[in-house]
Amino acid sequence: MKISMKQTLLVSIVAAATASAAQAEVNVASWGGAYTASQQKAYSDTWKEGKVNWINYNGGLGEVKTQVESGAVTWDIVDVLPSDARIGCDEGLFEELDRSMFIPAANGDSMDEDLMVEAPNDCVVPQIWWSYVPFYQEGTFSGAQPTTIADFFNVKKFPGKRGIHTWPNAIIEMALLADGVAIKEVYNVMSTDAGIDRAFEMLDKIKDHAVFWSSGAKPLELVQSGEVAMSLAYNGRIGAAVLSEGAKFVTVWDGQVLEEEWLVLVKGAPNAEEAKKFLIHASAPEQQAGQARYINYGPMRKSAFEIMKAGEPWFHNGKNIMEHMPNRPEVMPRSVVANADWWADYGDSVSERYTAWMAK
Amino acid sequence: MALPIYTSPGQRLWHYTYLAFCGFVLFFLVAPLVVVIPLSFTSAPFLNFTPEMLALDPEGFSFRWYRGLFGMCGNIEDNISTMCSNKWMTGAKNSLFIAIASTLMATFLGTLAALALSSDNMPARRLIMALMISPLIVPLIITASGMAFFFAKVNLTATWPGIVLAHTILGLPFVVITVTSTLVGFDKSLIRAGANLGGTPTYNFLKIQMPLIAPGMISGALFAFITSFDEIVIILFVGGPQQHTLPLQMWSGIRQEISPTILSAATILVLFSILLLTTLEMLRRRSERLRGITPH
Amino acid sequence: MTTQTALPEGPILTADGIPLKDSLQKSLRQNKLRAMFLVSTPLLFLVFLFIIPIGNMLTRSVDDTFINRVLPSTIEAFESWDKVSEPPESLYSAFVNDVKAADKVDIGKVSTRMNYAKPGWKSLVKRTARKIKKLKGPEYKDDLIKIDKRWADKEFWLSLGIMKDKATFGYFLNAVDKTYDFDKNIIDVEEERKVYNTLWYRTLLVSFIVTIACLILSYPVAYLLATLPMRISNLLMICVLMPFWTSLLVRIVAWMIMLQQNGVVNDTLVASGILSDENRLAMMYNFNGTIIVMTQILLPFMILPLYSVMKTIPPTYMKAAQNLGATPTLAFIRVYMPQTIPGIGAGCILVFIVAIGYYITPELVGGKDGRLIGNMVAYHMQKSLNWGLAAAMGSILLAAILLLYWLYDRIIGIDNMKMG
Repeated sequence: MKISMKQTLLVSIVAAATASAAQAEVNVASWGGAYTASQQKAYSDTWKEGKVNWINYNGGLGEVKTQVESGAVTWDIVDVLPSDARIGCDEGLFEELDRSMFIPAANGDSMDEDLMVEAPNDCVVPQIWWSYVPFYQEGTFSGAQPTTIADFFNVKKFPGKRGIHTWPNAIIEMALLADGVAIKEVYNVMSTDAGIDRAFEMLDKIKDHAVFWSSGAKPLELVQSGEVAMSLAYNGRIGAAVLSEGAKFVTVWDGQVLEEEWLVLVKGAPNAEEAKKFLIHASAPEQQAGQARYINYGPMRKSAFEIMKAGEPWFHNGKNIMEHMPNRPEVMPRSVVANADWWADYGDSVSERYTAWMAK
Repeated sequence: MALPIYTSPGQRLWHYTYLAFCGFVLFFLVAPLVVVIPLSFTSAPFLNFTPEMLALDPEGFSFRWYRGLFGMCGNIEDNISTMCSNKWMTGAKNSLFIAIASTLMATFLGTLAALALSSDNMPARRLIMALMISPLIVPLIITASGMAFFFAKVNLTATWPGIVLAHTILGLPFVVITVTSTLVGFDKSLIRAGANLGGTPTYNFLKIQMPLIAPGMISGALFAFITSFDEIVIILFVGGPQQHTLPLQMWSGIRQEISPTILSAATILVLFSILLLTTLEMLRRRSERLRGITPH
Repeated sequence: MTTQTALPEGPILTADGIPLKDSLQKSLRQNKLRAMFLVSTPLLFLVFLFIIPIGNMLTRSVDDTFINRVLPSTIEAFESWDKVSEPPESLYSAFVNDVKAADKVDIGKVSTRMNYAKPGWKSLVKRTARKIKKLKGPEYKDDLIKIDKRWADKEFWLSLGIMKDKATFGYFLNAVDKTYDFDKNIIDVEEERKVYNTLWYRTLLVSFIVTIACLILSYPVAYLLATLPMRISNLLMICVLMPFWTSLLVRIVAWMIMLQQNGVVNDTLVASGILSDENRLAMMYNFNGTIIVMTQILLPFMILPLYSVMKTIPPTYMKAAQNLGATPTLAFIRVYMPQTIPGIGAGCILVFIVAIGYYITPELVGGKDGRLIGNMVAYHMQKSLNWGLAAAMGSILLAAILLLYWLYDRIIGIDNMKMG
């Protein structure tokens, strides 16, 4: 009791000190680079009620957990991956939000109804969808061109090295899809030991042809320089190269794995009230659509998609954006939406096995 | 290192092999610059030499990554696809401040500790030495989190003194190790001689020990400086939104892309350091001339 | 010291008339006090800002009290169950009552902990927790199994046996590819999940190779720098210091550009006809890449300590040895090298320790087989939030290096190095 009193006192002192020093700036931790630049343009530059201070971090919840458990919270909002969104909310690192405060769609649907995916909990505020997707450079293959995820795993038909990342997310799903598992069945199959074995058998086929990457710019360079024939990459990086730099990359829109990106409010955030206002603003359909003017990640709200469709050419430099959106209706039936709950349960054991497989 | 005339051909061969080896190692050290500097002028957003660059086509070169560094975000394309921001300049200033402050503290404290540890009469020397080097051993991320809990209790989170103290701890082992190693060979009879001649302990330290351990102190200080100047984990855990540093800016967006902006930042830092070091060398030579000492 | 002919009566006195023994002891005490005074400031600084906070952090590697606090009656009911028969109703109702009484956040945290013991706990608890609050009872077993059929699975309940004690070695076991079975016997983890022992071994191997490589490359250079006239050596010193100014990230990126399959080095070798196009060297995104890049990054950490020790060695020693008839080689090996041992020691300690904790470089250039134990520590701190395991790995690292340091100190320790 005594300790908690003391802690509360400390928290309030720290909060008061930060608040008076920063004058209610909202501190938002995000990934930096072009992604944060698009958030800045679409969200904070259009927000008139306050100021946003963007902080660059490199993902993970280590900082947030430390801040919340120690009681000295300095971040208000964090941009998180789906697994972190779940773990953080379960472990009480994020505030649960009143869902009714968010702006409904033009057709009257509430924000949660307007989402293309069910919100996993009440902590999350929609951001974007991004995906792992295979791509190659025009002219790499003569004759037939790769069109399916099975082609990515077929080094006989499409010879050349393959760029894949150093963690198991998405690759396991893709391997099973390539092996003929139906999209709906992927996570059921993955929940069995035999299913995981099956995925690794498929991976073994490209093991000797694999070049591993761990930072998102790498696959583009690998493909551009010809070091690999095909690679998996974040769809946003491929799109940026094509849309802004005129690169000749071809995306294989089959068997991509979509990942969610959420904004969350840190528990005990020093500027909670302003931060909530900012979250309401950032999650509104106009702002969601606005972000797609600067980066080709797909907004999560259906109404934002309508705005973009109506506004084509939507990209800021006058190019069409819809064909680069990972969650457009045409490709959704051929995509897997990553099941973060599955990864929360089995992620550790699969990544240990994947690490061991890479080193073999 | 000119060879005397009487050296045998074998000795000559050995000597030139030796020089070549040293040349290779020194080149190995600066090799990254060979690609960093030219690539910082690329006009493409990729980190490899484009065909245009190799053909020396002016189209292949540009200052776009330098413009971003100084927050000149005229071109809309640069504005959104690169890291164009005035945060580079603030970051550089903050990093320099933190690094210099923590280096001074680490060098002072580390030298004190090294002096004590090299004394024959120091009790529990091994234990204290082990404690002193432990900040180097514990994985940085654990250190960062552990310190953050402590700093939260004493209200040092997100403050400048907090960051400086944390970085001082990181720099301390470097100074202790390098200074201790220079003190091992130190002939303690020199101190006794100084004392016999009537010098106070402080005077003796400054006049006798200090010049001898100076190379060790300087190397230790350099390590402490660079550890702080390149540090990113502690900053994220212990610092706050105000403590924006150069490495944070460099690593920004690393999950997605590596922008050539970091190459231009590095080029500028390198030019700055060459300028600084040559100025120091000029000053040293000048003072040598003035004092009439001929370099040996 | 054989001039003992005119030994005076009684104890030897100093000029002040105090017995020499006392005087020496006094000065010894003074020296001791002086040393302790000198070390006290840095030591206190270190203890408060580092040792205590990090010690606290490392206790997470054995702490397992949380589950006892949140699920006390479940643990009690588990103790009274015979583990052979089907899980009794008392176990189910104890669990339901615990969940009803507990804070929602605590349930989330506890399920994370339980998931370490048996994967699946997390989603099971999560899926059930919300519905549990509505259950009326008094019998819960059938209700729970209706919510999720996994509740009938005895294995989940048996896994509580691993978690019931307040302290656990489970994290330390996990860190070396061992685990507890449900009876708390230590067993190996499944073959395909073994990853840590390989990483420990590889981390040590990489650190050794990098240290040796640095030593071999640095020694001649440091010697050159220490013996050249100042005006030249200071200019060459710029080469050594230059890497310091290019951020770690930049250096890593530069090496990627140079060493990758289509990088500068391979292109040059192919263009000059030394290599054929198919035989490009794989120098990046593998073990070699990690070694090359880490060696380059850590080289200054070897050169500078060597240089600063070599600087303190008077050149006259070598000349004296040669005047006494030694060949230059012999003089170098017998006279010069022994005096540089403190520098070698300091450099090796620095490089080895810094190398062992590296994770950013291996993460970026390591590719498939260059990742090290530091990567796993960062993963468990940041991604899986399994701080217990991260702390266990940190503690093992700390203990291992201090042991190595102690060995080093015993074998070529500072005391034994005084060359007569």
